[in-house]
Amino acid sequence: MIDSGIDRRDFLKVLGWSGAAVALSGCGNTSIEDGKETVVSYVEANDYMVPGIGVYFNSTCAQCDAGCSINGRIREGRVLKLEGNPDSAINKGKLCGLGQAGVQHHYNPDRVREPLLRKGNKGEAISWDKAYALIAEKMAGVQGDEIALLSGGVSGHLKVLLGNYLDSLNTKNHFVYEAVAPGVVRAANQKAYGVEMPRYRLDKAKVILSFGADFLGAWVSPVHFSQQYAQFRKGVDGQRGVLVQVESKMTLTGANADRWLAVKPGTEGVLALGIINALGTAAGEVADLVKEYSLVRVSRETGVSVSQIEKVTALLKMRSPSLVLAGSAAEGYAHGSQNAAAINLLNQVLGNVGKTIEAPVSVPFPQMVPSKGNTAALKKFNDGLSAGKYKVVFSFGANPVFTAPGAFKFKDNFAKAGFKVAFAHYLDETALQADLVLPLDSALEDWGTQVPEYLTEGAQINIQQPLMEKLHANTRGVGDIVLALLKQKKSEEYKSYEDYYAYLRSALLQNKGALGGGGADDDTFWTDTLSRGIVKLAGSAVGLTGHQNVAGLKLPAVAEENEHYPLYLIPGVTASLRDGRHTNQPWLQESPDPLTTIVWDSWVEIHPKKATELGIVEGDIVEVTSRTGSVKAQVYIFPGIHPEAVSIPVGRGHDAMGRYAKGYGVNPFQIMDAVFEVETGELAMHETRVKIHKTGQRVLVVKDEGAAGALQMGRKIASRVSTDQIDLSKEV
Amino acid sequence: MSVSNLLENWAQVRHEHPINDKPHDPYKWAMAIDLDACTGCNACSVACYAENNLPVVGREKFQHGQQMHWMRVERYWDEDGREFPDQGFQFLPMMMCQQCEAAPCETVCPVAATNHTADGLNSQIYNRCIGSRYCSANCPFKVRYFNWYDYPTTDNVWPAEMTQQLNPDVSVRGKGVMEKCTFCVQRLSAAKVVAKGEGRIVREGEVQTACQQACPTGAISFGNLVNPESRVHKQWEAQQVVLDKDKQEKDEKEERAVLRGYRILEELRAYPSVMYLERVRESAV
Amino acid sequence: MKDIREDIAWAKINQDVLKSLEAPRKLYWVILFFALLAFGFGLGCEVYQYQTGMGVANLNNPQVWGLYIATFIFWIGMSHSGTLLSAILHLMHADWRKPIYRFAEAMTTFSLMTAGLFVMVHIGRLWMFYYALPYPNDRGIWPNFQSPLLWDAMAIFTYLSSSVLFLFVGMIPDLAIVRDNMHAGWRKKLYTLLALGWEGTDRQWRNFRVTYLTIACFLIPLAVSVHSIVASDFAMSQQPGWHVTSFPPYFVAGALYSGCAAIITLFIMLRYVFKFEEYMTLPILKKIVRLTFAIAMIWTYLNAVEFASVWYSHDAVSKDVLIQKMTGNYAPFWWGMIFCGSVVPLVFAFKRFQTNIPVLFATSLLLNLGMWLERWMIVAPTFSHGYYPWTWDHDQWPSMVQWGMVFGSFGWFTLLFLIFCKVFPSVSMYEVKEMVYHRTLHLKKSEAAEEGAH
Ligand SMILES: Nc1nc2c(c(=O)[nH]1)N[C@H]1C(S)=C(S)[C@@H](COP(=O)(O)OP(=O)(O)OC[C@H]3O[C@@H](n4cnc5c(=O)[nH]c(N)nc54)[C@H](O)[C@@H]3O)O[C@H]1N2
Ligand code: SF4
Ligand code: SF4
Ligand code: SF4
Ligand code: SF4
Ligand code: SF4
Repeated sequence: MIDSGIDRRDFLKVLGWSGAAVALSGCGNTSIEDGKETVVSYVEANDYMVPGIGVYFNSTCAQCDAGCSINGRIREGRVLKLEGNPDSAINKGKLCGLGQAGVQHHYNPDRVREPLLRKGNKGEAISWDKAYALIAEKMAGVQGDEIALLSGGVSGHLKVLLGNYLDSLNTKNHFVYEAVAPGVVRAANQKAYGVEMPRYRLDKAKVILSFGADFLGAWVSPVHFSQQYAQFRKGVDGQRGVLVQVESKMTLTGANADRWLAVKPGTEGVLALGIINALGTAAGEVADLVKEYSLVRVSRETGVSVSQIEKVTALLKMRSPSLVLAGSAAEGYAHGSQNAAAINLLNQVLGNVGKTIEAPVSVPFPQMVPSKGNTAALKKFNDGLSAGKYKVVFSFGANPVFTAPGAFKFKDNFAKAGFKVAFAHYLDETALQADLVLPLDSALEDWGTQVPEYLTEGAQINIQQPLMEKLHANTRGVGDIVLALLKQKKSEEYKSYEDYYAYLRSALLQNKGALGGGGADDDTFWTDTLSRGIVKLAGSAVGLTGHQNVAGLKLPAVAEENEHYPLYLIPGVTASLRDGRHTNQPWLQESPDPLTTIVWDSWVEIHPKKATELGIVEGDIVEVTSRTGSVKAQVYIFPGIHPEAVSIPVGRGHDAMGRYAKGYGVNPFQIMDAVFEVETGELAMHETRVKIHKTGQRVLVVKDEGAAGALQMGRKIASRVSTDQIDLSKEV
Repeated sequence: MSVSNLLENWAQVRHEHPINDKPHDPYKWAMAIDLDACTGCNACSVACYAENNLPVVGREKFQHGQQMHWMRVERYWDEDGREFPDQGFQFLPMMMCQQCEAAPCETVCPVAATNHTADGLNSQIYNRCIGSRYCSANCPFKVRYFNWYDYPTTDNVWPAEMTQQLNPDVSVRGKGVMEKCTFCVQRLSAAKVVAKGEGRIVREGEVQTACQQACPTGAISFGNLVNPESRVHKQWEAQQVVLDKDKQEKDEKEERAVLRGYRILEELRAYPSVMYLERVRESAV
Repeated sequence: MKDIREDIAWAKINQDVLKSLEAPRKLYWVILFFALLAFGFGLGCEVYQYQTGMGVANLNNPQVWGLYIATFIFWIGMSHSGTLLSAILHLMHADWRKPIYRFAEAMTTFSLMTAGLFVMVHIGRLWMFYYALPYPNDRGIWPNFQSPLLWDAMAIFTYLSSSVLFLFVGMIPDLAIVRDNMHAGWRKKLYTLLALGWEGTDRQWRNFRVTYLTIACFLIPLAVSVHSIVASDFAMSQQPGWHVTSFPPYFVAGALYSGCAAIITLFIMLRYVFKFEEYMTLPILKKIVRLTFAIAMIWTYLNAVEFASVWYSHDAVSKDVLIQKMTGNYAPFWWGMIFCGSVVPLVFAFKRFQTNIPVLFATSLLLNLGMWLERWMIVAPTFSHGYYPWTWDHDQWPSMVQWGMVFGSFGWFTLLFLIFCKVFPSVSMYEVKEMVYHRTLHLKKSEAAEEGAH
């Protein structure tokens, strides 16, 4: 890997928009609004605008919440490509495929371009003034607790501003919802370590034992973890790190494991306790708790062989420090908290806390730290909707009509709300149900600040700034909308801020000292901040609790066989599609799923053994039925799944969201049962049980893999070697 | 326009084995890809789409095998008879043009639209290509992609807004021509121009391919094999992989497998410029 | 069995042949209509493909070649019939070729013209095809002389032009006959022009003989080389299943084979349509059938050589391809090829079938089919089962567009042939006369010998 800086960037200074630049940014921009190109002379162009030569702006990736910093290449006023900002401790110059596809979010032909007011089944374009007036009108006489806001995770100044707005409305009904979030693990971590998200030091671990944490794919901060993983594999003194992955459906991380253990769904905790027992180092309460988890029993319940458990245990004993991770596969059950607690306990027994589990730093501006989304919030919101509590509802940054489990009947409940306002980039399923849709600037046109939930080296505020001038004249930044709404309530207080940009600038300048800009004058500080794209903060480490807390840790008996619905439905969360909010980016649709190589479609993953049993072959269309509903999709036969489970990836199956998303695949959220994790009330995503039957139809699976499947047919193509044959310390 | 012109021209186009009669100097671009670092995440492939104006062909055309990804991220599982792939999958990221030194695709092209550059690349001249597809027929790795349709004008490939994302440094290919990974030649050219202006050669690390730039695990090394300072050179040397050999000396030895470097289908004597490093699996678990 | 009568009057020969140039029978129009229909369909497919892109052929990466190339080879193979009968048998003084060589030569020309079309419809940028020709240009850009495809282009152009020349030169005395028997009108002018002032003087005959012989001698190596070069497209590549040393002779044998099969088919058709029973006699047919049988066996042998050399080599990848051909998705077609190419011709071993017209007709069609399958089985399986398993694809079924053009090519060929038959004498009058004359001499000699014995 080339870690040295890139020369190109030295002579092409990375730039930041100044307010003046925004005004001038007509340079070379093409307005396609009316189908005509606005050709702008370079006579008056800024001196950095050299035709034919790219300039670079730093900003923040908005494709997921990991908070990677981006470095965008702009030429003739158009953003062309996103790369990572090397200065960010989170992603160190790298971006995942999802992050790179951010340009397709920006240039997406299916973006909403005008405020739309519902007229029957159609949206009528209206002006912004009219839209704001309408909101004021609908709000008149409505009580605070009759207003609700549903959003995705928010942080930074937007969170502050939103808070102020909600206060001005006298409501506490802000529901922060993320369809796929480690809600249970956060709670379990809080119990075990005293923090929701400690810093996992994959790079320091000699062994990683991961219980379904897809840290290379979709878990928490994948780009960061991938970089750490590379370090981990190189190891200390050439001793390569060993990855053991325990899960019922292989994730990308599982596919990279030295040993992948197919565990019976839901028994992750049992295995963790079994390993603690086998280690034989625990004492006191812990020893009492685990003593009944004999190897034989654990092997019987989890389906992992005794010898395999012994090998893993020996490895953990021999190589220290190690790191044990509890991921979404462990937390997705009704007893998810117990699973996670057992797994965390293993970490404690191994003495990893403080070694590979480090204390995160605190963010000096607590009002800016992210509001973390979870599914319990959605449930609450849904209950309120169902009771007809809300007269005005705002929604942005989440698409619950698409991602709420079918059993919630969310779409029907949403219809019960009085006046529904969605701030949206596209007409997704939720925006389609709204009465008023307010079109948003793309993440590459908008201003903002963001504080990542998972902080790596230190605290930081990420800056989001426009990489080019707006593509469509009538879209607005989400901050601008909130500010405009706030002005309706508190015009005096906010009238000095012409727009969100002005608000942001002044807010940051006010804290110049705390943001490390002590000596500089305002303009210099501001330009520097923008050009860096990141404000690094001095934060103090939060204390970790390392004590072994076993109070209340009791795993339920292993689930009985379900006669009617014999199979577990495991929703697959993939690195590129996540919860489906970016499915309309064609690069992602055509980027083959790393494990199955399928594109543009959903599939039902079934183990070959099960498939033979059911007489199913690849491409058979099967109906997958749960208590809640059923979907039909093509079968892909895949050895990396437990025979008692089937898996359908989430993210596809849109019936809205434009040409690249609509009509491709099926949506497994639709058939998800409303089973909740007992302690946290989070949706237990892996608890849905299903049955499948053949419909008799068969299709050709659209995938990259050829007729030879995963076989190399005796050619030496992707070769491998085992550690005892090799000496890595001599490598370059 | 004369026979002498023809002969002269011919001598330029075709020489003996490139390394023997015309050693690469000052550049020979090459790669090393570490399968043990690669996680199969596909970031490299997306980067290639973004950098090189690759068309997204859509479901129907993908079904017909007409996808245009210059690079395939492949994954293998060779353990027949086992219940589970319990040692994970083998990912082969980046099966793209191997920029063969003695490229089988070059000799067969009737119009010399694909040929060898002085810095060891297999180049593709879109304007010259007549679309005979012989090059693809003769490429052992099957990494050449033909423009089966006029993607720039075919619906839904680049609607008006999307065209603004296209990289102006890279031609958008029309129908009927062949294309493939170029080692991001536009980046190489830009770097060479800058270096030339400063009277030096391109330094190590000064230029990265788009896929290499994106790769979060740093599995991809790219650089000038001629430059002894380059990481690629050092890796090739340490792995004892020699460009113009179809059988590496190390492989002849008894105690092989100490070194991980290998090239795919080396025995075909195409002399690929891409070396792969074997994936490693822990023997203790 | 009835052979050409020795006592047939020369005037009768002229009269019989010239009749074929008169207003056609109804059947002619029916065939013409269907030929036009097929050709029109193929043309429509090409227009559609040209406008939309090659993708509509349902080729893909890396299955980049399909029926166009297979059918191209088929037609090139077909073209060998004419050269075989006119040139090779001419040099070998096989008299029996005389009544039939003319139409065989026309076949050569037309099948080359058809083959050329397939090169055109195959390439992605038809409008740039001339890049493949070594034409002088200011930019000093030349094609790649290392590419077998370029040799192909040159060989085919040379072969085509030589064949046209051969056909024309061989026709001059006959064109003069037609000229002399034609009423005044544009046709008479045409034949006058084409006959090049032929008067049948001794000097003219002498020059004619030398010229004809020279072209014949030139044509034979050309015919052999053209299919060897087509074979090189494959043999010179590095792909499993193609990289076979025996391909050139194998291709030439296949070419002669399909040429012979086509001659039988057309022979029977012409004999019927133009009522040429007098000249296209059963003994001649019998000779062709025997020749075909011999070539079929050579082809079978070369096939066996190829399989055996692959099987006993250490080239596992090529072996894979062979196994795939025998057992994979293409197996029905591959076995079809073996059946049509090696089993069906065994019928010819039986004397009673050697002159049985319905059997011969059916058999010859099967042989043609087998030879077409052979070409497809050379092209497709290697693509779908090459070195790189990831890109294997066993279901690359050609689209209607590809089939349409294959179909259309038969229409085009028939069309050219029908026009030829009405414009030019498709039986060589002067050579038939020669033949009759030789026979009379022979007869007289034997009669004299008999008398002497008394
Ligand atoms: N300030 C100033 N103005 C001048 C002059 C001056 O000296 N100073 N000179 C004047 C004179 S003499 C002239 S001739 C004009 C020239 O003025 P223009 O004709 O505008 O010339 P350029 O800006 O060189 O090129 C125009 C565009 O063509 C693009 N281009 C390059 N190659 C191709 C191609 O193959 N196809 C297509 N479609 N586009 C291509 C280039 O990227 C560029 O964007 O300017 C006049 N204006
Ligand atoms: S992980 Fe990927 S999508 Fe998420 S912020 Fe980082 S680059 Fe963007
Ligand atoms: S990999 Fe294929 S396309 Fe690339 S140089 Fe080698 S033969 Fe040519
Ligand atoms: S497709 Fe183009 S580059 Fe390839 S052989 Fe044909 S003309 Fe040459
Ligand atoms: S080197 Fe460039 S062109 Fe080749 S695969 Fe990588 S990104 Fe694509
Ligand atoms: S980006 Fe790197 S880690 Fe990801 S697939 Fe490509 S080579 Fe592998």
